[in-house]
Amino acid sequence: MTTVEKLKRILVEDLNLEELTPGDIDENAPLFGEGLGLDSLDAVELIVIVQKRFGIEIRDMEEGKAAFRSVQALASYIEGRLSGG
Amino acid sequence: MDGGDARKGGKAWSARSIGSRWQHRFFYTLIRIAGRRAARVMVVFVSLYYVLFRPSVRARSRPYLSRRFPGRNALLRLWDGYRITVEIGKVLVDRAALGILGPGQLTVRHSRREDLLERIREGRGLILATAHAGCWQFAMESLRMLETPVSLLLHREEGDVDLHIFEHRDDDAAFRIIDPAGPLGGAMEMLQVLKRGEVLCIMGDRSMGGDRSTVGVEFLGGRVRIPITPYQLASATGAPVVVIFPYNSGPGNYSLLVEKVIRVPEDLGRAPEAYRPYAEAFIRALERFTEERPYQFFNFFDMWNQEPLQ
Repeated sequence: MTTVEKLKRILVEDLNLEELTPGDIDENAPLFGEGLGLDSLDAVELIVIVQKRFGIEIRDMEEGKAAFRSVQALASYIEGRLSGG
Repeated sequence: MDGGDARKGGKAWSARSIGSRWQHRFFYTLIRIAGRRAARVMVVFVSLYYVLFRPSVRARSRPYLSRRFPGRNALLRLWDGYRITVEIGKVLVDRAALGILGPGQLTVRHSRREDLLERIREGRGLILATAHAGCWQFAMESLRMLETPVSLLLHREEGDVDLHIFEHRDDDAAFRIIDPAGPLGGAMEMLQVLKRGEVLCIMGDRSMGGDRSTVGVEFLGGRVRIPITPYQLASATGAPVVVIFPYNSGPGNYSLLVEKVIRVPEDLGRAPEAYRPYAEAFIRALERFTEERPYQFFNFFDMWNQEPLQ
């Protein structure tokens, strides 16, 4: 399973996006606002999820802003961090 | 949090002062020339003008006062409006005096300082849930005694002429501001503050809008929506939530009332309803505060009339 696929599944399961399946999520669509429609309430959950599921703590604000742009961006960020980048 | 850039909600309140720029400057100058006490005396007269000749000012405090003092006649309603206007005026003077003239102007008493230190020693950060009561900015300044960095979730309205304490002088603020209108609603910064074991202060009585970041609770006989942010953060991090209310306890004296500690179970998730019991606990504490100090809860918008978002 790719990181993108794993992330989609985690988003649906951990954020209880009951109306969606992983296949419904466009990996290039914005996570917040238009797109997946997550809000600031979800931001806290998402940051915690990334930490718990991938062991990655996002400390830098600019990195975080870029990483949470879309599922694809977040997957790339996670892969980069896991490979020591 | 409470909206942020992630969701544009309908905030019903304004953080801007009712005073004009020249009125603020007048008071700042008066404090410099004649001192804090003279400015507090002037507040008594200026408040009278506002209450008698500016119906819009009376109207802003009416939703709260009519619920706190139901069944009052017109004269007593006028008196209530005057009292609360004088109280907020005095607080604003004290706040400006602290910034302009420096510490030593006012004293603050902490009822349970050791309790706060004990919660910090738990090492999971500390969330202070407070309200627009007393001189909350002064309370933030006084939290220097915790010897732990303090961050405050605060949205600064564009064009607000009312200066923060630290803006009157050149030294650093005693607290760092996290803007809920910033990226991800400030979520990342708030989590980092708690992760570092620091103190995060959030106004528990006011939301920037967005139904999903609030829950409806009963307050003074009506339904209000208050933010769940403090409790959601507590659930995500394990940090305790301590409810505090600063209030003016006498001329030149403020007290920091540590009302209660709220423990939120971990991993409650994203459903706002899961946080209702903790929001209820906060609002009951605020209700007790308004019973004991009715003129020190500075709510100047109709918090009972916030339309749910569709």
